[in-house]
Amino acid sequence: MTMAPEETETEVPEGHVKLIVDGEEVIAPKGELLIRTAERLGTVIPRFCDHPLLDPAGACRQCLVEVEMGGRPMPKPQASCTMTVADGMVVKTQRTSPVADKAQQGVMELLLINHPLDCPVCDKGGECPLQNQAMAHGRASSRFVDTKRTFPKPLPISSQVLLDRERCVLCQRCTRFSAQIAGDPFIELLERGVHQQVGTAETAAVFSGTPAPEPSDMASKTSSGAPFQSYFSGNTIQICPVGALTSAAYRFRSRPFDLVSSPSVCEHCSSGCAERTDFRRGKVMRRLAGDDPDVNEEWICDKGRFAFRYAAASDRIRKPLVRDAKTGELVETSWTEALRVAADALSKARDARGAAVLTGGRLTVEDAYAYSKFARIALRTNDIDFRARAHSAEELDFLAGVVGTTPDHVSFAAIERAPTVLCVAIEPEDEAPIVFLRLRKAALKHSTKVVHVGQWTTSSVRKTNGELLACEPGGEAAALDGIAQHAKDLDAGLAEAGAVILLGERAAEVVGLFSAVQRLAERTGAKVAWIPRRAGERGALEAGAAPTLLPGGAAVSDADARAALESAWRLDAGVLPSSPGRDTTGILWAAATGDLDALVVGGIDPDDLPDPALARKALAAAGFVLSMEMRPSAVTEHADVVLPIATVDEKSGRFLNWEGRPRPFTVTLEGTNALPDCRVLDTLAVEMDADLFTQTPQASFADFERAVSAGRSVVRETNGSGTAEHSRPHAGESNGNGKLKLATWRQLIDEGSLQAGEPHLAGTARTAVVRLSAATARDHGIEPGEHATVSTERGELTLPAEIADLPDGVVWVPARSPVSIRTALGVGHGGAVSLSGGTA
Amino acid sequence: MTEVQDSVFDADIHAKAKEIISRYPQSRSALLPMLHLVQSVQGHVSQEGIAFCGKHLDLTDAEVSAVATFYTMYKRKPCGEHLLSVCTNTLCAAMGGDAIYRKLQEHLGAEGKPLGHEATAGTPGEPGSITLEHAECLAACDLAPVLQVNYEFYDNQTEQSAVELVDALQRGEKPAPTRGAPLTDLKSAELQLAGFFPEDAERFAADVDGPSAATETLRGAALAQERGWVAPPMREENA
Repeated sequence: MTMAPEETETEVPEGHVKLIVDGEEVIAPKGELLIRTAERLGTVIPRFCDHPLLDPAGACRQCLVEVEMGGRPMPKPQASCTMTVADGMVVKTQRTSPVADKAQQGVMELLLINHPLDCPVCDKGGECPLQNQAMAHGRASSRFVDTKRTFPKPLPISSQVLLDRERCVLCQRCTRFSAQIAGDPFIELLERGVHQQVGTAETAAVFSGTPAPEPSDMASKTSSGAPFQSYFSGNTIQICPVGALTSAAYRFRSRPFDLVSSPSVCEHCSSGCAERTDFRRGKVMRRLAGDDPDVNEEWICDKGRFAFRYAAASDRIRKPLVRDAKTGELVETSWTEALRVAADALSKARDARGAAVLTGGRLTVEDAYAYSKFARIALRTNDIDFRARAHSAEELDFLAGVVGTTPDHVSFAAIERAPTVLCVAIEPEDEAPIVFLRLRKAALKHSTKVVHVGQWTTSSVRKTNGELLACEPGGEAAALDGIAQHAKDLDAGLAEAGAVILLGERAAEVVGLFSAVQRLAERTGAKVAWIPRRAGERGALEAGAAPTLLPGGAAVSDADARAALESAWRLDAGVLPSSPGRDTTGILWAAATGDLDALVVGGIDPDDLPDPALARKALAAAGFVLSMEMRPSAVTEHADVVLPIATVDEKSGRFLNWEGRPRPFTVTLEGTNALPDCRVLDTLAVEMDADLFTQTPQASFADFERAVSAGRSVVRETNGSGTAEHSRPHAGESNGNGKLKLATWRQLIDEGSLQAGEPHLAGTARTAVVRLSAATARDHGIEPGEHATVSTERGELTLPAEIADLPDGVVWVPARSPVSIRTALGVGHGGAVSLSGGTA
Repeated sequence: MTEVQDSVFDADIHAKAKEIISRYPQSRSALLPMLHLVQSVQGHVSQEGIAFCGKHLDLTDAEVSAVATFYTMYKRKPCGEHLLSVCTNTLCAAMGGDAIYRKLQEHLGAEGKPLGHEATAGTPGEPGSITLEHAECLAACDLAPVLQVNYEFYDNQTEQSAVELVDALQRGEKPAPTRGAPLTDLKSAELQLAGFFPEDAERFAADVDGPSAATETLRGAALAQERGWVAPPMREENA
């Protein structure tokens, strides 16, 4: 060495500090926790309570390090998960400090004193931070020779989360998650000192002289005695750094090292959460939240976590079924035979009065595109609709403007940063739980003002520190129009940069709401995001599985767009149907009255449709029904041919989430021989002399992209025809004749068909009740706690009554818990109903 | 919100709860006095009491339970008319507190079994029933060994005097505490802990107020004054 390097002062950027960690000089942003700074340097300090998405707690003391400030060593080792960086700080982790190392070993020894060390029988064994860190940072043996503390086990915290208290290290991740992230503090730290434990109100040994309840009765309950339901409690299992919280569905089912993990995407709602699916020998054992900071961070809802058993149900349809002409029974047959029968019947129908397609809202982009192309080419019709729910022509016009929007328009991050969020016709916790978590985070961390246009102060309103802009069901449009006059601060808030309006699927049930939202957005400059409930809706919209829109969003009436698509699809000019098709209700009406000969039906439950009676009539009346299903459904009994299709675990593809963000996933379970819809449709189309080029999801997506870019090359006609028909909800839908107005939406956990076969999840569904105001209850002679009967000329529904702050003359009932309100009453949100006191 | 009504807590208690809540800028701060209020009705914190607090304060039962199980002054089993706390912390224990506690356990026990910690002699809530507990430091070391009945002090106790006190309580008498307010019963004391005192000044003086300083407590100060002892002056920062 000839020259000593010159002493250069490292430049410290604004808002940063310089410190020394393990002898290395580091620049760190102000406010960074020492444990993260060390992590950036590649030093992992052991920890249990620390979680990047939870506020610091310093509860477990495992992350002790030696700290020196201003040349003076701090008298004791400090918790690096609560201490933030400071200028001139000198930090020594276990790597360089024998003091820190010994402190960590000591804490580990204390944490393990009452731990049963039952790793060989523990679900967490093999993926356990306690096990791993005890190996890495603990002593080889314990000096504790006395009897360990034990507890009766396990305690059911809910029907799906079990607690083994003796394994707990009291890190409080679960209680902090429940209180901070989910807003459902149903578990807490009880007792003190050596008796300290996590528990529910029921486990707290506060018993009015009565004997302790049975363990099965210890699940957390609310003050009213109802089980305490949290839609997010499964996350506590995943973040538990020990084996204290386990899943009732997964407990003792497998070992982590026997599982194969595959990244996946949740099929349940339009958020498109990143998940990890763990399977063993061809069977999915569990699902965990994936880590995607842009979408779900590290959380998922319990439906996404636990509702996957439907795919392994014993009644899965594995072989094509064709209805025997003689016996009238569905009989298993070969693919060749089934496809031939279907192709013949559909060709015949197409050439007669026509065939239509109802896709359902749960398709991947690839599958939806195949349906869309199948309808246009093989069936030569625009009679296709993905909306297996209440819908309107007004909605379709609005959705034309949604096509093509990306996360640059409104994203999860934009919600978190927004100064004001207005939720219209959406109950985030029930209909988009991950959106709800972001709203809550925005409200708590960034003081976002969240205003809900709705009927009562729901848990979504409370937990987002929200305000309720109360209106009658059906009066949402008027409420929005009144904002300028009656809610000037909200109006000003929406005019601020970054303000967002979230619009749910219920908007289709309110006359004039879409235009009211657009008026409000245009006037204030707030951005509008459409958040459908189902995972496939946004993708199906993009793929053109709608009666008025082509793939990519051009109007079917646009001759240039059709010509571009014809050339992209290598079709003869002018073969694509030019007149707008029928929507879901139109299709069903036509089928019921003999205007259509055949129906191609994807994953649809008639009870979800605006008029289930009409749907059943249509299915019965249609000359030919092709059902593409995983499991027998209400469609199966009317189907002439049933073609089995793959579940999300068995195929690849992508969902498009509500942001417009592609959520691609690969095959989890290889070799099941189950075929995705796009493959089945492709082969079926070949039998009908049409080429879809959708043999595989990859091929389908490539073709979809070609179609979309072809559509982009033409100038789009202005969307929204604004015909007079839009001024009223869809014909054929009954509005009831009662005196009261009905408010309704679906609860997250209900009777949906993808939740089948999972009793532990079903155990955490919210209790179905009729909600009404105190005055309404009094007027109808209904005492709280008694039952109330909501009725129309179609039928009635009796549920326990609960008083809430609804407008007088309004009742709220969940849409599908326990039965379909459409089926029972024949009305939806905004419908007219009668009310009476009922008996249980 | 609709009026919370149930069989255990009457309208007066609901009104008192609202009064407590109104004392704090944030309602959840009212939880500790609310739990005392609940105890003033039932003599302990019951599941209904937890729910009562939860409903009034918009907390979950789990959150209320967490607090109620943390503090030892919240009793989870029905208590007697009187709560007898024997200090068994270091100084009192050495001065005879342990012996007093043992003696009272035997004296109040039945069928040859000593009465346990937080167990009740007699039927809880009935006149003359006594719940016994050993307590951590009662902050009266100068008067050790001490015991408390419903948090009122009985100083410089012996096994004999403690047994006499207990016997008197069981007979329905209310022997005067060594200092402080006259003896009532646990539920009345709990109401005071919840922050409700007689409004009438004379009654306040008689029921609540009382000389709490004892000669022993002031002996050091008196001695220092007598001999002119003073604390050394504070050193100047730069001296």
